[in-house]
Amino acid sequence: MRIDKDSGTQIPDVDLGKSPSGFSILLRELIRDKVAFVSLLFLFLIIAGVFGASIIMDQNDIVKVDLFALYEPPSATYWLGTDYGGRDIFGQLIIGTRNSLAIGILVTLLTGIIGILVGLISGYYGGTIDNIFMRFVDFFMVLPILMIVIAFVTAVPGYSIVSFSLIMTAFLWMGIARLIRSKALQEKELDYVKASKTLGTSNFKIMFFQVLPNLSSIIIVTMTLNLAGNIGIESGLSFLGFGFPESTPSLGTLISYARNPQTLELRWWIWLPASILIFVLMLSINNVGQALKRATDARQRRG
Amino acid sequence: MWKLIVRRTFLTIPQIIILSVLVFILAQAMPGDALTGLIDPSIDPATIEAMRERLGLNNPWYVQYIDWIKGVAQGDFGQSFRFKMPVSELIGGRIINTLWLSLATLVLTYLIAIPLGITSGRFNDTWLDRAITGYTYVGFAAPLFIFALVMLFIFGFQLSWFPTSGSVAPGTEPGTFAYFMSKLYHLLLPALSMALITTVSTVQYLRSEIIDTKQKDFIVTARAKGASESRVYNRHVLRNSLLPIAAFFGYEITGLIGGTIFIENIFGYPGMGELFLSSISLRDYSVMTALVLLFGLAAIIGALLSDIILSLVDPRIRIK
Amino acid sequence: MSLIEVENLKVHFPIRGGVFQTVKDHVRAVDGVSFSIEQGQTYGLVGESGSGKTTTGRAIIGLNDITSGKVLFEGKDLASVSKKEYIDVRKDIQMIFQDPFSSLNPKKRVVDIVAEPLRNYEKLSGKEERIRVQELMELVGLSPEAIYKYPHEFSGGQRQRIGIARAIALNPKLIIADEPVSALDVSVQAQVLNFMRKIQKELNLTYLFISHDLGIIRHMCDHIGIMYKGRYVEHGTSEEIFTNPQHIYTKRLIAAIPDSDPKNRELHYEKRKLVKSEYDKLEKDFFDEEGLPFSLKSISATHQVALPERG
Repeated sequence: MRIDKDSGTQIPDVDLGKSPSGFSILLRELIRDKVAFVSLLFLFLIIAGVFGASIIMDQNDIVKVDLFALYEPPSATYWLGTDYGGRDIFGQLIIGTRNSLAIGILVTLLTGIIGILVGLISGYYGGTIDNIFMRFVDFFMVLPILMIVIAFVTAVPGYSIVSFSLIMTAFLWMGIARLIRSKALQEKELDYVKASKTLGTSNFKIMFFQVLPNLSSIIIVTMTLNLAGNIGIESGLSFLGFGFPESTPSLGTLISYARNPQTLELRWWIWLPASILIFVLMLSINNVGQALKRATDARQRRG
Repeated sequence: MWKLIVRRTFLTIPQIIILSVLVFILAQAMPGDALTGLIDPSIDPATIEAMRERLGLNNPWYVQYIDWIKGVAQGDFGQSFRFKMPVSELIGGRIINTLWLSLATLVLTYLIAIPLGITSGRFNDTWLDRAITGYTYVGFAAPLFIFALVMLFIFGFQLSWFPTSGSVAPGTEPGTFAYFMSKLYHLLLPALSMALITTVSTVQYLRSEIIDTKQKDFIVTARAKGASESRVYNRHVLRNSLLPIAAFFGYEITGLIGGTIFIENIFGYPGMGELFLSSISLRDYSVMTALVLLFGLAAIIGALLSDIILSLVDPRIRIK
Repeated sequence: MSLIEVENLKVHFPIRGGVFQTVKDHVRAVDGVSFSIEQGQTYGLVGESGSGKTTTGRAIIGLNDITSGKVLFEGKDLASVSKKEYIDVRKDIQMIFQDPFSSLNPKKRVVDIVAEPLRNYEKLSGKEERIRVQELMELVGLSPEAIYKYPHEFSGGQRQRIGIARAIALNPKLIIADEPVSALDVSVQAQVLNFMRKIQKELNLTYLFISHDLGIIRHMCDHIGIMYKGRYVEHGTSEEIFTNPQHIYTKRLIAAIPDSDPKNRELHYEKRKLVKSEYDKLEKDFFDEEGLPFSLKSISATHQVALPERG
């Protein structure tokens, strides 16, 4: 435990660059970074295209089995061919991207909320609460989460998309909690927190209205990078058959057809487009996240 | 120092207890119980009830938990329902394959990471560094299973350089040199696919560590004294950057476990990860829970080892 | 009755160690400190870093837990009043922090910073609040139009004024000023100090002024307490401490104040050497085996010194 005995003449390091206009600076840095900017544009296009197209498309029509069009190669009718049930790959790709993105965003938000809550409380109060929370978090960070998620997905009766997201959330909030906790721990030592206490502000208000705004840029960066990770985890689980049910198209499910060696070897149109799409999506989100991270670092250097 | 180590070791006790409770809950939540794996469905319900009583399946949960722990401590994980054999024997047959795969992956991970990380860190901001950084970017974004599929597609199917499934060519005699070579041959593509992805974080770590270290005062001093550039690197920079990396192998275990599940599935490699997935699809739940417990233990012990080694080689890193 | 009386205040921090992180010992940051301050006066707390002066101030305002002892504010013991009463009392004690950079939340506008205490204690409408904040800004000599700016748009001295505006927003009776100018340029220090004296007269404030700088303390304070390793070594009026220091530690501190007149340089240097040799000679007599000062003995009604126990 650090003993805050007497501050004497020492002046704590202050991040002068941490200005209130953080969002606009982040955005400016993002636009200045060419790779990240292109990635961001691409992401917007994909999201707009996929969500737009999925309004017009009929999911039931796409997942309907057509025995007269099994394993069709790409053609004018089926832009990317069909799968073993004669279902249009292109349509599944659109719906699947929408589903993967939606669940990625949902899980990122849920884990973000839990992680921020736990991390903030743990770091702000410190002491016993912090000790218990962090031992718990450390433990789950060590465990092979993928395996445990698979086991829970199997164990849960009445498995659905909701329970799938909840199980993912239950095991994926620890990373962000640990990060927020360490930042909150630094932040609460600053005098503005002490000042708020002497001014009669409640701990609750200090945590959420004084400390939290100062963590916003780190939260944005982490959530962006987590989004890419969560899309990867979801598609990985769907690939193994523990994600979306097969009736709900997902990018992972499309790739999972490649577990059949014949499909992998001979019918690339089924699995390759989805693979490339996931890769490019994750690469773009990562690019944006890394650029945001650099932007926050640069501001710290300038300070 | 020893106090830190003792304290860290004590920490694993509650971790193992929580893991065992988690796995026990999982086992209870699974449809069916230990008996499902033992008996013939034609036996009448009264006999089953008597057997349940005798096996302690009607006891309160904590008694069952203690009994289960006692069994596990003696290596008894129950019976496999599908294969009609003890789970421990079933796992015993697979564990070697996974160990080889993990070991090969770890070795390849370091073989790739160290030269790339050092080159990238030493010659940072050259075109070589940019190429390596580009690779780490791509590797960081690419999901392992997609990369593995592409590797299998290109090198296994299109080019036919490597076998596309199994851990050894059928018909080779165990114990012979040909058997060993065949094992190695089957191992190479899966291990390389995994290593090329897992190595990325180590390359990134090594690069930033070297760039950090070379701006430190003691390096500047060594240069100012007239030490040659390669001496500065070999004696000072690398010693400070490589030791922590060597200790990371324990942390890698958690990642390797997730990796082997995908890799063994994609390459049809008969290891524990493949057993895990097939036990789920066969509803062979006693095998599945035993595997979760074993993998969890391996990860906990790996992290313990890494923490201890790291605190020995790098006093800056303190175990809380 | 004094505005505030501190009786035998102790603040100890546990030192943990060993395999199970059990409490092995305590750091006695503040170890039996007593003083009182009259309404409208300035009391100076002096000491080197680690002497416990900041911890004393923080314990009074509730930022550090009190291990034992009493803090009586207008006769009420802060440790034993009900929670509701404490919130009211706390309104009357405010603090000015050392570092004008970290003490203002960088993500908040000045209006939000200065209005924070008002929002906690007074229910003002948006317009009333803005007018009050603008009044406060004017009082501390800043432009009332600047209330929608962020802290980083101000200089160190201006930020410290914002901190003062926040501290006086609730019309407190006691202000604890913890090294309020040591983070500022020397040229700005005098400005802020004189301004603090000005508002002290205008608002009838009482200051507990914590500093390591005896020059500033002399300029500001009516009474002075000198701390060393969590205890008092000497306590008296400003006059007594500066003209008639009794403890060797006090003498050394005073001798260390730089003399700005170059003509006196030789003389000053000689004097300092003399004080140093006296200190070295008598160090064993003035401190106990652990190097701590002895308890205080009165040598006049207002002047107490930690003189040696024997002889």
